[in-house]
This record gives sequence, C-alpha cells and structure tokens, in this order.
Amino acid sequence: MSSTAAAATIDHHHDPTTSTGISNKKLLMWAFLASDCMFFGCLISTHLIYRLHPPPGTLPAKEVFSIELTSFSTFILLMSSLMMALAVNAIQKGNLKSLRWSLLTTILFGCIFLGCQVYEFRNFVFEKHLTITNSILGTTFFTLTGTHGLHVLIGVIWLSGMLIYSFTGRLAERDSIDVEMMGLYWHFVDIVWIVIFTAVYLLEYL
Amino acid sequence: MSAPATTAPAHGHGLEQSKFWIFVQIAMLLAVITGLELVTVYLPFMKWLLVSVLVVLSTVKFMFVIFYFMHLRWDRAFCTILFFIGLILAGGTMWALLKLFGAEASVPPPAAMADPPAAVLRVA
Repeated sequence: MSSTAAAATIDHHHDPTTSTGISNKKLLMWAFLASDCMFFGCLISTHLIYRLHPPPGTLPAKEVFSIELTSFSTFILLMSSLMMALAVNAIQKGNLKSLRWSLLTTILFGCIFLGCQVYEFRNFVFEKHLTITNSILGTTFFTLTGTHGLHVLIGVIWLSGMLIYSFTGRLAERDSIDVEMMGLYWHFVDIVWIVIFTAVYLLEYL
Repeated sequence: MSAPATTAPAHGHGLEQSKFWIFVQIAMLLAVITGLELVTVYLPFMKWLLVSVLVVLSTVKFMFVIFYFMHLRWDRAFCTILFFIGLILAGGTMWALLKLFGAEASVPPPAAMADPPAAVLRVA
C-alpha cells in the first residue's frame, strides 16, 4: 500500500467495489434483519390478537408481570446497545483496547438481561403458575419473549467469539465491517425489545 | 476476511470522534423516554390517548436506534429502503390482523370460550 493511501482514513460507509456501493456483508445483514422484522411482527401480532378477547378465567397479565424488573432489563439492554455502538466506533478508529472493553461490557449487559429473563420465567412458572401450555397468555408470551431471548443468547455467543478473536492479533480497522455486522444484529435485538416492552408489558397496565 | 477497505478524506476521523458523544447523548435520551413511558401508563387519561403516546414514544426510540446506532443516517439510502420494506410489510400485517380480529364478528361466542369441546359436540 502506498504512503498516500496509508495516510488517508478508511471510508466505513461506502464500498466502491460493489455495484450498490454497500459492502455485501452489510447488505446481507440488512436483508436478514428485514426478514426478522416480519418474523417478530407475526409473533407480536399473535400475542396482541389473543389479548383482544381473553378466555374467561384468564389470569390478568398485570398480576403476573413485574414492571420494575422489566424496566430494569429494558434499561440494561438500551445501555448494551450504547456499548455496542461504541465498540463499532472504536474499531473504526483502530482502537482495539476500547473495542475489547466495549465488547466485554456489551456481553456483561446481555448476560444480565438474560439472567433477568430467566428469573422472570421461573417466577411466572413456579410462583404465578403461568406456563407455555396452560393458557393462551402463557403460550403467546413465552413464545414471543423466549424467541427474543434466544436471539439475545445468539448475540452474546457471537460477541464472545468476536472478543476472543480480537486477542489473536488478526482484527484491525479494515475488519470493522465484521464488528459492524454484529452491531446491526445486536441493535435489532434491542429495537425488537423496545416494541415488546410497549406492546406486551406496558399496554397491560392501561 | 473482509472486502478491501476504501479510503476517505481525513475528516472521516473527526466524524468518528463526534459520533462517540452523539451515541452517549442518544443513550441518555432513550433512558429518559423509557422513564416517560413508565410514567405514562399510570396517568389518569383516556386509554386511546395513552396508547397513542406510548406508540409515539416507542417509535421515537426505534428511529433513534436505527438511524444513529445502526448507522442508517450515514449509510447509503438503499439500506434504509431495504429495512423499511420489511418493516412496512410487518407493520401492515400487524395492522391488518388487529383490524380483522378486533372486529365485532371476530369475537368468539361465550359457549365456545367457556367449554370448546361441548360447543363442538352440540353443533355436530
């Protein structure tokens, strides 16, 4: 590489080697996220439809949910999104140390969120006797939030892999697209939770 | 591992620096909006108004995350178009299903809701 090219910074938002000007990896991830939107849209719709006409004797969701715990986990996921954005920003500046700390914090917050979900599910099953099979509310709720939790778990595993890879010495600013792809997935998981928090939890308190 | 990176003018690094503070400020704003949502559900106003406020607040949070954290603001418009195609399809499906199942004719009869197998036997 010439000294002139080395002195110039890398353009992380445009790729002239492709016909669209967008990196193929980024385009793939956006297409996947668009399809995942439709997937979660169906799950959320199903939950909302069954909440329109709950069968008689259904346990009121307000008596089952804990808004304090859910608010805390929402805040944690939002902060994890911030740390992920900072991780992408760090690798785009070639700052590996910052990247590692940001990834570690994102993983930690992701694990805290998953821990809150596990606690919530156990509480619903063993204390409130709401299971995936004994009521419509349980079926739609656990299917929706369980699927979201699975997405978070996959994200945490991916983040952990990237963190380990950053210690091999093979990750540099030119590889920022890989971290950005992972960031897109993580932010998507966050925006789905933003919708779930409102549509599933908050609406029950009105 | 990745496609060859392209070069950009030197002001690219200045943009990356300012993005740091933009992200932090947006995260604080998102936390505040989440707090507002929590307060909203306990306000003594009409349900339709509260639902509208919640939808607006969630949409604002949603847009901030996708345009800033997901970099749509700085990327090519095609990424925005691609994502919004999926979003509009999902939103349209949701709206259609809610309209369909929210209609009076979609309300299940009381007998079917209370004891589905018995109701089926009577019809047969």
